[in-house]
Amino acid sequence: MPPAFLAAIDHKRLGQLPRQMWNSSQGNVEVWANVVIIAWAAAFMLWQGEGFAISVGTIFAIWAILAVSLNLVVGFTGLLSIGHVGFFGTGAYVMAVLSSTATYDQPHSVGIPTFGLPFFAALPVSALLAGLVALMVGIAFNRFRDDIYVLVSFGFTIIAFNVFLNWSSLTRGPFGIHEIPRPEIGGMVFDGELEFLLLALAFLALIVLVSWLLVSSSFGRVLTAIREDERAIEVFGYRATHYKLAVWVISAMMAGLAGGLFASWTSFIDPNSFILLESVLLVCIVILGGLASIRGSLLGAMAFVLLAEGMRFLPFLPNEYVGQARQVVLGLLLVLLMLFRPQGLAGRYKL
Amino acid sequence: MGTLTSKWLTLLALLMVMALVTAACTSDDSEEPFVIGVMDSVTGPGESYGTVIVQAKQLAADEINAAGGINGREIKLVVEDSKCGAKDAITAYNKLTDVDDVKIILGTSCSGAMLGAAPLAEADGVVMLSASATNPDIADAGDYIFRTAINDAQLGVDTGNLLWADGIRTLATITELTDYAEGVRRTTVAQFETRGGNLVASETYASDVTDFRSQLTKLISASPDALHVAAQSEASGGTIVKQAREQGFEGPIYTESVPSGTTALEIAGEAATGMKAVLPTPDLTSEIGRTFLTNFRERYGFVTLAWFLGSAYDDVHIAAECLGRTDDDQDADGFRDCLYDLTWSGAIGDNYSFDENGDVVGLSNTVVQILPLAERNDENMGYTVLGPAPTE
Repeated sequence: MPPAFLAAIDHKRLGQLPRQMWNSSQGNVEVWANVVIIAWAAAFMLWQGEGFAISVGTIFAIWAILAVSLNLVVGFTGLLSIGHVGFFGTGAYVMAVLSSTATYDQPHSVGIPTFGLPFFAALPVSALLAGLVALMVGIAFNRFRDDIYVLVSFGFTIIAFNVFLNWSSLTRGPFGIHEIPRPEIGGMVFDGELEFLLLALAFLALIVLVSWLLVSSSFGRVLTAIREDERAIEVFGYRATHYKLAVWVISAMMAGLAGGLFASWTSFIDPNSFILLESVLLVCIVILGGLASIRGSLLGAMAFVLLAEGMRFLPFLPNEYVGQARQVVLGLLLVLLMLFRPQGLAGRYKL
Repeated sequence: MGTLTSKWLTLLALLMVMALVTAACTSDDSEEPFVIGVMDSVTGPGESYGTVIVQAKQLAADEINAAGGINGREIKLVVEDSKCGAKDAITAYNKLTDVDDVKIILGTSCSGAMLGAAPLAEADGVVMLSASATNPDIADAGDYIFRTAINDAQLGVDTGNLLWADGIRTLATITELTDYAEGVRRTTVAQFETRGGNLVASETYASDVTDFRSQLTKLISASPDALHVAAQSEASGGTIVKQAREQGFEGPIYTESVPSGTTALEIAGEAATGMKAVLPTPDLTSEIGRTFLTNFRERYGFVTLAWFLGSAYDDVHIAAECLGRTDDDQDADGFRDCLYDLTWSGAIGDNYSFDENGDVVGLSNTVVQILPLAERNDENMGYTVLGPAPTE
């Protein structure tokens, strides 16, 4: 990572964060309209059932971490990656292998080594290993851009999925890993759903803060310049590849962290949670929320999760078709949103 | 933003609000039916069996209601999509238990979804009863977790024995990489090798693969006595059987229930003739089973994976029986105790019950052989029953 980036963090600007967020939402009528809708839907869910709202909130927090971190790569730097789920999965599997306490004693069960590490010890490893994988992949990916980036990141997602599926002495392959424990620190166990939600929101806040610091530093401005014209910024003496690699690794580490949270929350993971479709949905969220907008990614994740889960309340459908109908309506709403707001809920740029 | 656009957005918002409010109002029923949850994979990777399983459950519920309900009260199913994974199973579970206040859930279709939701159900004291989750690990999932699906392990042991009894000494396997198919393969091979058999080649494939010729060529070149196919989806199962014959494999083919499903047999055509499959229970030969299949075909125009449909159908009737005894859909403990005590005769077999793990006992696997194309019909499901799986 270039030292210029570290020096670029202006600590005084930290204090301006809330004010800046407030200012940038002033006069943004459409954003406020969206906030109102989302708040209404959230209030409705809370009224319907607190436990359900909490689990929806937890999904939001995890997906928001993924969306914000993906936006660093897709929105700010202009590298259209559909490989994010690979890092998410890496983080989740690292957490699962390190912290699961399951003994597989059924006849012919596939056994894997158990470490029983606590959540807070395993989580940094989740992020670091996801970052390490990203570093190796990123060195190869750095020569690509634009459309080609979609293809190579697609390849990465497929490879990652197949590693999860086939490396059965470590991942148990299709059988998945269960009994992944909830976080515990100093006698305080986050086993309640509400406690876990608060923990996930705290991590989300941390990720938002770090991302905001990144993009508002000179490092972030170089990223934006890379998106606009990579050659031009190289003329000024910046090594674009270093910056691209750095943001790619940082973003992957955030995804790895989200993966660790996810594994601990679901307590069971298998390769099905890390298919290409999830990556595509993530890109949808980033675009839906707005490219190069952290606030947009938060809004996009919330809108998407609330739409997807809110569909569960669609009435007057026969039981046999309710699931399929949800998918159709969700797709239709996404199309409508893109028709009327091609720049996303809070974004400034079109794809 | 133009005024036109904002009007549209407002309209959209209004529509959403209206939909949500309507949903809230319709949940206010005056007749107070028994409400039970249904969690199945109606979309996603498990859709092909999740959808028909929901249909079978709905059919059973409608039958019960048409016959006057349970103790004069109707039974109402609330269906949620658990896809095939832990994440969606958890939200579906929370929605059912929290919003619909359900204490009894019939589901899920996939083992992954089951293993995701089971720890929550166990902690909350909510009963889950699955028609098709076969992963051996589910046996350990808890006191409130039941299934009428037969644990994979038994299927593998029976298939291994059958192979040996048929004089097969060298075997090649091709397996879809899912927990079900891989579970069947592992136990089959383990039993086959215990008996003295020899695995000469094995290949696996991911669920989205549609061409198997290169794997099959490798397997056939090892010249095994027989080929064992384990698939999660009927499309891949049927295609493998077809392509194995096209590649010139002439030995016997053995399989489990999926490649002998209706859709798979249509894809495989004449290539499937003579294939042997190990399926759970005498395949809906019971009176209840036959009637159910006829009704199902009449209502939905199509039958596949008959055994799993029967299992789902039985689950609803078992739930109705236990609700009739407890007379309270909020009494999960009573319902659980009822399941432990119950001996049931339904579509998938007679006098079966649940053991201390919540696994079904009293059902056994059967060997069937696929008929020539011209002799297959709706009545025989395309095969003839050879008898129970050999134990030796």
